Amino acid sequence: MTLFFQFVLTGLVTGCFLILATIGFSFTRRVEGFLNIAHAELLGVSAFATWGCNKLLGWHILPSAAVGILVTAFAGLAIGRIVYDPIRKHGPSVMLITSVGVAYVIGGTIDALIGTGIRTLDIPLATSYRFWGLRITDYQMMVVALAILAAGSLALFLNHTRTGLAIRAMSANPELAASRGIDVQKTSRATWLISSGLAGLAGVMLGVIATLSTDIAFHQILQILAVAILAGLGSLYAVILSGLIVGVAMDVSVFWIPAGYRPLVAFAVVILVLLFRPQGIAGSASGK
Amino acid sequence: MIQSLILSTLMFGAMFSVLTVSLNLQYARGGMINFGTVAYFAAGAYAYAIFTQEPPSGLDQYAFGFDLPWWAGFLAAGVAAMAFALLTGWPTLRLRGEYLALTTFAFAEVLHSVLLNERRIGNGSVGMANVERPDPAALGLDDTLAYAAAACLLMLATAWLFRRLLASPYGRLVDATRDDETAAESVGKDTARVRLQIFVISAIPIGFAGALYAMITTLVAPALFTAEVTFFVWIALALGGERTITGAILGTMALVFFQELVRIIPFETVRGAQVAASVEEVITGILFILVLRWQPWARLARRAGA
Repeated sequence: MTLFFQFVLTGLVTGCFLILATIGFSFTRRVEGFLNIAHAELLGVSAFATWGCNKLLGWHILPSAAVGILVTAFAGLAIGRIVYDPIRKHGPSVMLITSVGVAYVIGGTIDALIGTGIRTLDIPLATSYRFWGLRITDYQMMVVALAILAAGSLALFLNHTRTGLAIRAMSANPELAASRGIDVQKTSRATWLISSGLAGLAGVMLGVIATLSTDIAFHQILQILAVAILAGLGSLYAVILSGLIVGVAMDVSVFWIPAGYRPLVAFAVVILVLLFRPQGIAGSASGK
Repeated sequence: MIQSLILSTLMFGAMFSVLTVSLNLQYARGGMINFGTVAYFAAGAYAYAIFTQEPPSGLDQYAFGFDLPWWAGFLAAGVAAMAFALLTGWPTLRLRGEYLALTTFAFAEVLHSVLLNERRIGNGSVGMANVERPDPAALGLDDTLAYAAAACLLMLATAWLFRRLLASPYGRLVDATRDDETAAESVGKDTARVRLQIFVISAIPIGFAGALYAMITTLVAPALFTAEVTFFVWIALALGGERTITGAILGTMALVFFQELVRIIPFETVRGAQVAASVEEVITGILFILVLRWQPWARLARRAGA
């Protein structure tokens, strides 16, 4: 039974990581109105920028992580301005398909610069703690703490600051927001910075809890999509709930079936949900 | 070398064109975004391999091998793709736009994961090697030439059939379903059924192409059937300009030619080849973004029409 709860605990940690990875994706979907397949590649950008500072330049992990997150945030902003802004008039389907092209460009660039092989960050080994027979490492606790912190501060930001409220207004009704004097350009820029910065944070976490290889980003998109569909591409709270559901479902499934089926479990949950609730667990009819 | 370049471009180009043309039918005519194209392709390839493979022996872990002639396997490939399209299309086609894209993508990933983990289907990650295939040498033909011809034949047959289908009254029904569902329904057309029919019909040639792919490579393994195939076909479709069969074929040929061209450059080091492959990926991505942004073919067509 302890083993079962161990899987549940690991699942919660996985869920927290997925929340970090999906918040930005879901945020882009709400404000910009399309599914950004290239979002997962931004995790790779951040992870390898951090790795470059940490391993190649020999910096401490904290400044390296800060550089990684900043680089990713501005890379995301640049891509948003250069690639997505001009094609907004073509509609969400074209933007979705274009983002596949963007994913190719980022993925190919990372491949060309880094090359194949497995890499790790230069950080102290994880220390394991035991609570009632359940093991958790300090890095895993950090993922949980950061997920709570990121989700909490995003919620505060969206509900209590001017820019945050502007972003929410824009996601609800762009034309009305613009006619009421909201600076659409500025708000869109803030959105790109925040969602890419969150991808950057998730990328750093990925580097800390896992080993890095250049195809790692692509594997994340599958799980991000699973969480995002489950959440109904809706609110922040739905993302948190579905991140935890997908994380726990994937890790607990290992208790009964081979570990290779983890991604399958994630998508089995998604397909089941879509069959019975096409709008996601918390989506409303307006979540078109 | 030039000759082999042209031949392999024709062979793979024609084969992938079958996928692009089918996708064109689903997306440009039916208005459905299928992001799981590779699943129907894989279903065809695996069905072909399972039907023609000898019964398992030795280290083989697959459960079924029917040892049937190639044409039986080829037919089975079409049936398998059709069955999988029915299975996945029936529950998902009531979803629209990006939801459909995501669900088809999810189904493709599920199939990939099952093929990878369930060794009784096709040896898991190892796959099935030495897939049976008709030997063109028996007819006194060159191997590559014969398969290039077969691929072209399949492509032309698919293109011709789809063209006939869409020129018929049924084709107008398909267009009506895409453009205005309410209007089509109000004159008594069952639009849900039309969408499912288009989805299933266009999956069949994809299954045949899968069988042909298994014959050409003589190997089926999960690593050959990743989401990259889906993205490749989508890029080809965008390159060629949507909505025309000729465009879909030309786009695929151009993309395959570009890839084959990179492949024949000799490299001194493994790293060099790696960099070239990544650069190829980057250029493909950039082309894709540019084509979608400026849509040159749509513009040309408008100018020609004016």
